[in-house]
Order: sequence, then structure tokens, then C-alpha cells
Amino acid sequence: MTRGLSVLVGAMLLGVPLRAQSRPLTVTGVRGVTFGAILPGIPGVVLRTDAANSGQFDIRGPNRSQVLLSFTLPLVMTGPGGALMPVTFGSSDAGYSQAQTIGSQVGFDPKQPFTATLSNNGRGSVFVGSTAKPATNQRAGGYTATLTLTVTVLP
Amino acid sequence: MRTTARLSLAAAALALTGTVAQAQTNNASITATATVQTPINVAAGQQLNFANVFPGVNKTVAATDLLNAGRFDVTGQSSAPVTLSFTLPATLSSGSNTMPIDTYAGVRADNGSQTSGVGFVPGASNPATLSATGLLFIWLGARVTPATNQAQGIYTGSITMTVVY
Repeated sequence: MTRGLSVLVGAMLLGVPLRAQSRPLTVTGVRGVTFGAILPGIPGVVLRTDAANSGQFDIRGPNRSQVLLSFTLPLVMTGPGGALMPVTFGSSDAGYSQAQTIGSQVGFDPKQPFTATLSNNGRGSVFVGSTAKPATNQRAGGYTATLTLTVTVLP
Repeated sequence: MRTTARLSLAAAALALTGTVAQAQTNNASITATATVQTPINVAAGQQLNFANVFPGVNKTVAATDLLNAGRFDVTGQSSAPVTLSFTLPATLSSGSNTMPIDTYAGVRADNGSQTSGVGFVPGASNPATLSATGLLFIWLGARVTPATNQAQGIYTGSITMTVVY
């Protein structure tokens, strides 16, 4: 009887921190930024509102929690034979959507940390656009670069 | 027995707390991709040449005439679809004299000998595709219709072809 009571009390005490912890934070890369075919000397632009070509990350975490979004952005894309092509990000090239819809974004500068709030069910999405700037003598071929989004739950 | 149960619960609490602390930061990556295409170049490979014509006698140069048909040489992105558009003169000129030119015809092929060439009527918008090596050859033929009193002279005109991806 004494042992049974001790176990029950222990479980109740554990119940408090378990509820506060909620679900773990996850970040998922859903879609890359796709410039498609571009010509030397003519910039290729992808808007963050482009449903087919903008980049997208999905976030899951504690309900209604504040999170800090920080990008690690490339300066160049790498192509054939190590050829480089500049890639830039404007001050409104990223967008956050609590509803996870591309049409309900709040724009922000991906070069600066941005504080967002996850939805009531702990969700949010980040969209990103960019501009590729091929030189007039840019070598033909495929170019790639990596964008990383780091999400931190604020206390 | 009682002591054992309490120790187990304490250990579980510590383990759960530790897991949550590590999950407060997370990241993911995506890739940006682009394909830079080879610019299109168009060169006048060969003039459309009617050679000698006689007053009142029409003369036609066929687009399949490899020696006399006009030819444009295109280079660009391999296997890329393109659109050709032509500006075609209605007359050739020799000073103030003119001579009608009409009935334009075209052949496109991905080699200079017209192997597997495809005929077409040149106009404002003609689809074509560059070869796997990024080549396209366009030949043009036409007809001139000199009048019976056509003035002697050398008659010329300009044909322009524009290619866009």
C-alpha cells in the first residue's frame, strides 16, 4: 500500500514537466529554391510567393511558442568545373506563415534573425526567394547552393 | 522495494528533461538550383543566290538546294526548344528598280547536309529544337518574278531571322 502510493505521487510530479515540455522542435526542408533555366547576363529571380519555385521549410514545436529563425545563406552557387555564380537575398526575400500557406506570409530579411510564433498547434512555415546573377560570360551548366534554416525555441 | 521504485522514477525524470533541453534548437537545409544556358548565336552561313535571271522568266531556288539556298547557322543550348521568326522582303532592289520575291520555303536540320531535314513555311513564329550538340541549320529558298521589262542590274535584299529560347 505504501509502495503503491509512492509510485502514484511520483507519476503526478512527473506529469507537470511532461506537459510543459510538449513536442520536440523539428525543422524540415520541404522544397528547394528553383531558378530553372537562366541566361548569361540576365538575373534569375524567384519570389518567396512563388508556389512552385520558392524554398520552403516546415517547423513543428511547442504550441504557441516563440522561435528565432536564423538563416545560413550562400553568397554563390557552384557549377561545372567549380564555376561560381553570385546569389543574393533581398530584405524581404523570406516569409513566415503561421498557417503554413504561401499566401499568408509575413516578410522578413533572411540575413537577420527573425522572431516568429508557432501556431496553436505548434506549426509554422518559412518561405524563401532569391536572385541568381549570372555573368555575361557565365559558364553553361547546372549550379547549386545550400540554404540552412536554424530554429531556436525562445524561453 | 520501496527505495527501488523511487530511484527509477527519478532517473526517468532526468532522462526526459535532458531530451527536451537538446530539442530547443534544430535546423534543416534546402538546395538552390539553376541551369545556366548557352547563349544563342546566329550566323549567316550562306547567301540566297538566284544567280542570273532573265526578264519575264521566273526563277526559284529551292530550300533543299545546298549550293544556292540561303542558310543560317544557329548554336546554343543542347536540345533546347527555340522559336524562329523571319523578316522577309517582298522585293529585291537595284538602285531605284525593284523585282518581286515571294514563295519563301524553309528547311531545318541539325546538320549541314539537311539529313532528316524538315520543311516549313518561314513566318513570324516557327518552332524548332536545337540538336543534342546545340546546333540548328536553317535553309531558305524563294522565287523571283522579273518583269518582262525588268531593268538590268544586281538586285539584293535582306532576310533577317531571329531566334529566341
